[in-house]
Amino acid sequence: MKLTRFEKAKIVGARALQISMGAPILIKVPDDIIDPIDIAIKELEAGVVPITVRRKPPKKREEIPMDRGKSK
Amino acid sequence: MYKTIKIEDVVRVPPHRFGEPLKEVIEDILRHGYEYKGGVVGGYEGLLDRDLGVILAVTDVESIEEGRIIPNDGASYHKTVFNAIVFKPELHEVLDCEVVDVVEFGAFVRFGPIDGLVHVSQIADDYISYDEKRAALIGKTTNKVLEVGDRVRARIVAMSASPEGQREGKINLTMRQANLGKFEWIAEEKKKKEEKAPKEKKGEKKEKEVKDEA
Repeated sequence: MKLTRFEKAKIVGARALQISMGAPILIKVPDDIIDPIDIAIKELEAGVVPITVRRKPPKKREEIPMDRGKSK
Repeated sequence: MYKTIKIEDVVRVPPHRFGEPLKEVIEDILRHGYEYKGGVVGGYEGLLDRDLGVILAVTDVESIEEGRIIPNDGASYHKTVFNAIVFKPELHEVLDCEVVDVVEFGAFVRFGPIDGLVHVSQIADDYISYDEKRAALIGKTTNKVLEVGDRVRARIVAMSASPEGQREGKINLTMRQANLGKFEWIAEEKKKKEEKAPKEKKGEKKEKEVKDEA
């Protein structure tokens, strides 16, 4: 399943923070890339980020007709 | 009393240790804590807990759950179950201890990781005086001598709770009960009893004979 843009943003953010805090990098990057966010994006594109997304299934919608609010 | 206990806790693994084997990192963090703002915090070994007692060692890590990432922190958090050895002194517990200091008002004894006090009035059934030059407690009529280094058996008679964060509260012990005191004294008492014992047995037999006649 494809990641949503929100999930992508969250993963890149979390991974970049890890990298900035000293986590080992899992892909080879050229020496001129030093921004942890850039590295995190590259890792995500390569599909090696060791993070899984736990999606919450959406709650079932309930339809409430207007006549319930009618005063007796 | 020494016990092994199972503890559940969430361990924070900092990102700079992601490259190392997870189990080893978690064992190390559980044992020795982690660095935080220039100091070391956490760490179970040597920890004193009001309910658990003194935690002496983390023996093994039983299970480690998958890590969770929390917003605003790069570290992963793992729910962990591990076993530890603890020592907790219990009221009325009999302990073998070593005398570590003798002062005017009694003797300090060490059992496991904790020290306690045996007050002069609780050393033996005798008038006990303090010998300043020898740093020893001496019984007036029995000539019992208690010095630093002696091995004794004592019972905990009182424990006072310690304020939070402080070293264990005061523990008071007694040696004025049967089979308590310096090991040599106990052995002497035993000998005396054994010498008396055969006579008692004869007495019992006589009683039985009397009953049979009746």
